[in-house]
Amino acid sequence: MPHRLEIALKPEMFDAEGEGIRLKAKNYFGIEFTKVRTVSIITIESALTEEELNLVQTAIFTNPVTQISSFEPLPVDFDWIIWVGYKPGVKDNPGSTAVEAIEDVTGRYFNKDEVVYTSKRYCLKGRNLSHADIEKIALELLSNDIIQQTKIYSKNDWSDLEGIGYIIPKVLLDHVPTVSAISIKSDEILKEISDKRNLALNPNDIPAIRSYFLKKDVLAARALEGLSEPTDIELEYICQARSDHCNHNTFRGLFRYADLDTGYAETFDNLFKTCIEAPTLYLKEKKPWVVSVLWDNAGAGLFDENSYYVITGETHNSPSNMEAYGGAITGIVGVYRDPLGTGKGSKLIMGSYGFCTGHRDYNGPLMPHLHPRRLLDGVIEGVRDGGNKSGIPTPFGQVIFHDGYMGKCLVFVTALGIMPSKIKEEPAEQKETSPEDIIVVCGGRVGKDGIHGVTASSEVFSENTPAGHVQIGDPYTQKKMHDFLLEARDEGLIAFITDNGGGGFSSSIGESARYSNGCEVELDRVPLKYEGLDQWEIWVSESQERMTVAVKPKHIKRFLELSAKHAVESTEIGKYTGSGKLHIKYKNKTCAYVDMDLLSAGFPQWEFDAVWQPPLMRGLYEPVITEPEDCNKLLEDILSHPNICSKEWICRQYDHEVQGGSVIKPLVGKYRDLNSDAVVIRPVLGSNKGIAFSQAILPMYSKIDAYHMTCCTIDEAVRRLICVGGNMDHVAGVDNFCWPNIQHHPENNPDGKFKAAQLVRSCKALAKMCLSYEIPLLSGKDSMYVDGYLSGRYGESHKVSALETMQFSAVSVIDDINNCITMDCKIPGDLVYVLGETRNELGASEYYEHFSYTGLNVPEVFPDQFIKIYRALYKAIEKGLVASAHGVYRGGLGVHLAMVAMGGDLGLKADIGCVPATGVGRIDSILFSESAGRVIATVAPCNKNAFENIFKGLCFACIGGITEAKDFVLHGKKHGDIVSLPVDTLKKAWKQPFGGLI
Amino acid sequence: MNRVNVLVLAGYGLNCDYETAYTFELAGAAAKRVHINSLISGHVKLSDFNILVFTGGFGWGDDHGAGVVQAVKLGTKLGDKLLDFINKGNLVIGICNGFQAIVNMGLLPGFDNNYTKRSLALTFNDCGNFRDDWVHLKVNSLSPCIFTKGLDKIELPVRHGEGKFYSDESNIRMLVENNQVVIRYATPDGKPAQGKFPYNPNGSVQDIAGICDPSGRIFGLMPHPEAYNHFTNHPDWTRLKEQIKRLGENDSRQIPAGILIFKNAVDFMIGRSY
Repeated sequence: MPHRLEIALKPEMFDAEGEGIRLKAKNYFGIEFTKVRTVSIITIESALTEEELNLVQTAIFTNPVTQISSFEPLPVDFDWIIWVGYKPGVKDNPGSTAVEAIEDVTGRYFNKDEVVYTSKRYCLKGRNLSHADIEKIALELLSNDIIQQTKIYSKNDWSDLEGIGYIIPKVLLDHVPTVSAISIKSDEILKEISDKRNLALNPNDIPAIRSYFLKKDVLAARALEGLSEPTDIELEYICQARSDHCNHNTFRGLFRYADLDTGYAETFDNLFKTCIEAPTLYLKEKKPWVVSVLWDNAGAGLFDENSYYVITGETHNSPSNMEAYGGAITGIVGVYRDPLGTGKGSKLIMGSYGFCTGHRDYNGPLMPHLHPRRLLDGVIEGVRDGGNKSGIPTPFGQVIFHDGYMGKCLVFVTALGIMPSKIKEEPAEQKETSPEDIIVVCGGRVGKDGIHGVTASSEVFSENTPAGHVQIGDPYTQKKMHDFLLEARDEGLIAFITDNGGGGFSSSIGESARYSNGCEVELDRVPLKYEGLDQWEIWVSESQERMTVAVKPKHIKRFLELSAKHAVESTEIGKYTGSGKLHIKYKNKTCAYVDMDLLSAGFPQWEFDAVWQPPLMRGLYEPVITEPEDCNKLLEDILSHPNICSKEWICRQYDHEVQGGSVIKPLVGKYRDLNSDAVVIRPVLGSNKGIAFSQAILPMYSKIDAYHMTCCTIDEAVRRLICVGGNMDHVAGVDNFCWPNIQHHPENNPDGKFKAAQLVRSCKALAKMCLSYEIPLLSGKDSMYVDGYLSGRYGESHKVSALETMQFSAVSVIDDINNCITMDCKIPGDLVYVLGETRNELGASEYYEHFSYTGLNVPEVFPDQFIKIYRALYKAIEKGLVASAHGVYRGGLGVHLAMVAMGGDLGLKADIGCVPATGVGRIDSILFSESAGRVIATVAPCNKNAFENIFKGLCFACIGGITEAKDFVLHGKKHGDIVSLPVDTLKKAWKQPFGGLI
Repeated sequence: MNRVNVLVLAGYGLNCDYETAYTFELAGAAAKRVHINSLISGHVKLSDFNILVFTGGFGWGDDHGAGVVQAVKLGTKLGDKLLDFINKGNLVIGICNGFQAIVNMGLLPGFDNNYTKRSLALTFNDCGNFRDDWVHLKVNSLSPCIFTKGLDKIELPVRHGEGKFYSDESNIRMLVENNQVVIRYATPDGKPAQGKFPYNPNGSVQDIAGICDPSGRIFGLMPHPEAYNHFTNHPDWTRLKEQIKRLGENDSRQIPAGILIFKNAVDFMIGRSY
């Protein structure tokens, strides 16, 4: 008999959650409630005695000061009730911690059939509410049908005695685990099975797979193990490893590039090798601070002689698109396992986010699964809980709104860690598995959740995408594991470590066994969430919060001891061997037996036609606009664009101080509300060294040319670092590509060849920029297929592709954090300088977008010129000559001069005729051109000469000064005052769009 | 006494242990991060320490009320040892999640020498969300709290979703009358925030940010002293640095308030041993 405990705040207590729902219902849907109260429900499926029940009720689940509770339904006033609970098999984190707490208090340990489920009911009060209103709130605000179930009660439906009844979302599979052999009689049959099993196997791989399993020696070796045709687990292994997500087939593909205008043609064999690997290897030789690149879960750079920092970036787009909260929390918690699995293990020191979604106020005809507003709310909360509960600061992030992300949103998550350079005298960045090492899995248990995640993200999102792979990350379980593994690392107990993410064991064991050249896995020893999983499911499940560790037999006892101390589950599930075979057994029966080198040869390279039509040929042109007369209003309007305006409400939800090393925070300035160019942390508390970190995303420029999009993105990320005191001599990068499908198809993807050409151009730009700015790519990932099909008004559906997007992360090591500066002007009387040249580059700018133009003149990057300015600025900052520095980014000079003034809460007066410019005479071009390479600096008058000496011969000018009077005045010789506004007015415009959100 | 020994709790989702130990070291103590289970199992003995820190973080994910499960676990497994520790005149500080935990254990408010009665709560912020921001705090100079001696106005960061201090009127009145209210959220000029957001970031009754027991030896607060362990932690430091430079003064940086709070505790324990 289950027990159902209802808990609510005392009636006189303010219900902040309920009030938040009331406001959202009103603001999002125009549905007015007079009151919303929440009731938490704990359903305990365990034979607790009455005494034990009372104990858990009072000691754990009811705060006597604020709450009331009852094992009967609580009498909370309502007109309607919505109940929301998880569907079977969805991770219920509070349910798991409730079990831990009950076990602690009662001393009774739960058996595998005893479970706690959590759910909620919302008691809604209001007049004239229809069932349809309530259903809307239930489905579009309070739940997501992919992971949750709901029930709606009117006054008539509700029974005070029964309440919600006893809802037990238990997974009951009643299935005997079975290995099936798969027929490879013909290519067609295998293709059919691949489709049926949702393997997303590339048809071109099928002949290679068949020919392997038909080889005589393979057949003979397998026969000895009792196998003939490939088993499902073997095919799943191959599919996971060959998926675009794991194997990067697109980037490793063959591109036949042709420029339709010039007739130029070139073939690129493997963009990864030519544009990412080659420049990075070249720079590794040149830069002694590059410690480890291109092989591990994250790359490593030198922090100081005793420690290395590590960095990697990921995306979690497809899952977030379906279940925003679950997808995003799984994304951030997942990327945190990469540094943890780098070298022999790294401590996490920082995370960041990048969200690309449709417009928050979208009200057009297309119907995405989640409205962009709701999707954004969900991903913000997911990263919030994932980061905050991991105890890792999240000081940097960006949000980009564009309708192209309605097909699939982008959720970028980036993680930095730090490791000691040596562990027990051994290099910490190195690791390997050896025969006889024990395979240990640590952390969470395996369930059906997360099966086929990797292959699904290699597909365009459709109604048929299996929902089963949506998960909810569990930062609590992972934090315990993180603490445990670092202690084990420091005792020298870890020979090899890697995470279980995409592909589950299939990739973590499959890849780690390459070092020893073989493994023998006993799948029946893997701890499961519930019985009834097939062997292949255990092998590929992506259930989260798990690491795979190689432990030497002599260390296993101590390793398990530490694991127990940290309340982390660790299980020996097999051993590494030197047999050359991937050998998987279940209850002593072999279910997979293939050669370790099966994946390394014989598979065909993917091929793409990439056809470039330059912008002019595509009919792009500069719009014909006359010079605007009311620049006051224009500037205010652009400051309140969603992609420019303040998003303080997001930053403040993220703990950016934890670990105690915050130096330059995400929000700076007198009122701590302007976005910093970059952030700086002090990861080693006793040291004055710091890590500066920034990111940039500029997808709009891809409308004209992804080559320049890429150059500008990288330049911006680097410039952001320089503006806080970063050093050009040490800039490391991480590239995250998110591209729509590039495989041409006459009906489904008619512009595939163009998108492929954009990718080639972007990669070429990446290589060029990395070489000229000398940025080794410590890590990088690609996520293809950012397309989706959205239903329209008439039962039709539309394919929506995202803009070609690349997020670039840049990191620099700061020698002395005391030299860092922020972007806000500091003192009246200071001089305002513009460094770098303004050109006629309004193409795809925020200004043109304001008038719905694209234009043609996209900003370009001139590395030789820019580097000189960045080096000079670094020198000036190091000498303490600069009071503030701020890059000119999206929106242009007008917008960013305003930011500098708003930051300092002081006035700024400047002559825009003095702005160093080429080919620009018009006010709008000077104010809104988005030319790269520019920085606004403020300098004390006494430092004028010293500052100008450093920049001698470079393109720069003093254009005005900071004033006590809080007015923002831009004037020109022929125009008089072009902009003249109180700084408060500018700030109001900039804060207004999302100012009401907390 | 040679060194003051500080035990900083860790494990089960707590997460401010490193910087808390570091800041206590800066304050002159010997600090050790200790897993909750090591304390329960007896591998580490509470009696070897002088100051016990309940650290910030998300113990047990904070799923059933912040600090609740930690309070239950430590109360059940360590109850008497803790009371012993307190009775011997040692110090306890609970920061953020640790404050929530010691309130739920009943270590605070400690009226009438009762250290097990749960009569206060830290509940969901009125703003409805987790919030990270620096706050201004006004110290009650009449409070017996050991940790805040000599401090007046300080700034520290808050980072929590459940920091609204709440209790019934009679308890609040007692806390105020006993001067157990140690720090209050304030405006930049040191006046009471009077509930005004964001100065009072969570809607705490009477702007209460931290309280102590009647002896002043147990201190609980929502803001994080350990996150202000360096000049560059302060949100205005680049501005202050520039101002100092213009005045032509030497870099006369003050000791961060976080270190001062811990130093008061360390100095008290040193003084007590003579």
